Amino acid sequence: MADRTTPSVDTASLRARRVDFSARPNLLLGGVLVVLIIATIIKEPGYASVSGARNTLLLAAPLAILAGGQTLCLLTGGVDLSVAMTATAAAYVCANKSSNGALRSILLGLAVALLIGLVNGLGIAVGKVNPLIMTLGMQGILVGVLTKGAQSFLKGSTNVTPFVKTIGGGAIGVVPWNLFVWIAVGGTIIFGLKRTGLGRMIYAVGDNPIACRLAGVRVWQVQLAVYVLCALLAGIAGLLLSGKTGSVDLQLSNSFLLPSVAAAVVGGTSIFGGMGGYTGTILGALILGVLERLLLFLDASEAVKQMLYGALILGLSALYARLTRE
Amino acid sequence: MSIAVVPDSNEQGAHSARPRQRVNRFVQRHAWTVGVWVLFAMLVVWYASRLQSFGNFEKASILTTAVAAVYAAMGQGIVILGGGIDLGLGSMVILANCVSAKWMNGHGLAACLGLAVVVVVLAVALGAGIGWIIHRSGVPDIIVTLATSFSLFGLALFILPSPGGGTSPSFAHIVTGSDSGEVYWPAILCLAVPFLVVWLPLRRRRVVLSIYAAGSDRNAAFLSGVSMARTKITSYALGSLFAALAGLATTAVTGSGEPRFSTASAFTLNAVAAAVLGGVALNGGVGGMIGPIAAALALSLLSPILTQLQDGFSWMDSNMAEIVKGLILILVVMLGGYARTRRSKVI
Repeated sequence: MADRTTPSVDTASLRARRVDFSARPNLLLGGVLVVLIIATIIKEPGYASVSGARNTLLLAAPLAILAGGQTLCLLTGGVDLSVAMTATAAAYVCANKSSNGALRSILLGLAVALLIGLVNGLGIAVGKVNPLIMTLGMQGILVGVLTKGAQSFLKGSTNVTPFVKTIGGGAIGVVPWNLFVWIAVGGTIIFGLKRTGLGRMIYAVGDNPIACRLAGVRVWQVQLAVYVLCALLAGIAGLLLSGKTGSVDLQLSNSFLLPSVAAAVVGGTSIFGGMGGYTGTILGALILGVLERLLLFLDASEAVKQMLYGALILGLSALYARLTRE
Repeated sequence: MSIAVVPDSNEQGAHSARPRQRVNRFVQRHAWTVGVWVLFAMLVVWYASRLQSFGNFEKASILTTAVAAVYAAMGQGIVILGGGIDLGLGSMVILANCVSAKWMNGHGLAACLGLAVVVVVLAVALGAGIGWIIHRSGVPDIIVTLATSFSLFGLALFILPSPGGGTSPSFAHIVTGSDSGEVYWPAILCLAVPFLVVWLPLRRRRVVLSIYAAGSDRNAAFLSGVSMARTKITSYALGSLFAALAGLATTAVTGSGEPRFSTASAFTLNAVAAAVLGGVALNGGVGGMIGPIAAALALSLLSPILTQLQDGFSWMDSNMAEIVKGLILILVVMLGGYARTRRSKVI
């Protein structure tokens, strides 16, 4: 008798927990994050310190901002594969024009990002090019233009202005500067997605573009805005990254392209649009950031790192798919 | 842009139609593919006319560098036809490249060929596994293959931590022809054989027809009894087969294994570009293999052409190839979409 009842109680409690998770998937992600942090601390007790947190945040902040732009694109059912090169372009132009003063060079860098986003947005929203193809083409174009530019019109200094260096790599007391940028950007995205017309429209367009168009939403304007915003965020992330490294090269943010998609997806944003949000992406970026540190402490080779990275993305998204299907 | 390649066996009057009508219909139906081949032919002619001599060496160099890209484009084409996309294709290419370069080093032709078969079989098994995971987990293709792009590359790096390895000269000659690079027919054979041996026999069979069916309308295919699991698995297994061939061709041409992530992503992205330019609809279900082959050939010809143009315009170089590639991709897709909407409005 007892044997019979025990499993049924178990499944009931399991089901209750499951329902809880599917209603609040961020709890699950938070749990994964905590487990990862604890594992890291066990491996390296020194990680539970201010500098440990700082090192993680220094990496996680640019990634999270990049992934923020990606989240917006995913929410409309698109994707931006040119974010990494956009970030590099903004950082490169900013560093190259650093003799014009910090403010002007930063504005120039962001203007470049804005321009890239505008072209992407026009191609996708007005030209009706598939986002994957448009941004893929744009990435190729940017690689060519930047490589060419580095030999001609962008020749010269690749040193980052002191101001960007401070923001990207410095700290005020113990708190890294880029955390403030992240909080500002993240707060804006979360608030914007929840409380503004554009934010709600982004979800609506991702959910059902045809219904949106029939309801009178100017879908192309929403898409244009999303790709411009995404490029702008990529530009900011690029500046932060360049501030961290001190000088820029064309490989600055290459390795951040797939993690930017991964952070958003691990964070529960659906690739088909209309589902997800920035809170999950923040957790996703933090998970990837902590994992990076853990693997560093474990002395894992690049090979093992990449394999675990893939396994994590796959595992979490499979779990997610299971939870949301019920 | 009517590029449906799935043959209608019971098309009315197909046999009674007069030859001229049949030619017209052929051109209409395959306009896109024909266009891509014409584009490629024009590029070759233009390139040849600008060179001082266009002999065997030039032909061989164009063809041998294109072989791997063509295989990758075919692999990606099959996966896209089935309604998926393989972002891990480039990593699979690099994995095959690294495995073959590591263990082929210092062996004879027979051992190399044996290893090549093993690599292909393993890749097919891996691809089938990826397809199965996609089917079982319910996670979108793009995410699963994003994950495999990391994992497979990690595996490649695990097997060959730094660039190196080698292959038997005779194995290299299967693609390159000779050391001097004067013989170009082996490269043509390499381009033709997988198409003739793998794609042509399969393309009207149930396996590939169900890939077309699942790609064009998943629900309809499912309701008509097409097995979704088998379709997913075969499309990724076939895609990985071609990816492995691309990796082996890379080993043969470069003579070494290079675990570099940028090469892997370049392979993936160029393959997507070639498949789409070759007339495979990104949503799946429409297209063939002949178009992507021509598109991959044309794309890999861009770089030498633009380098060649440096004589007249000093700002032309291989970097311009990236720019031109991107522009062509965007413009072609834009024009294709525009043509389609115009057609649908008329009807």
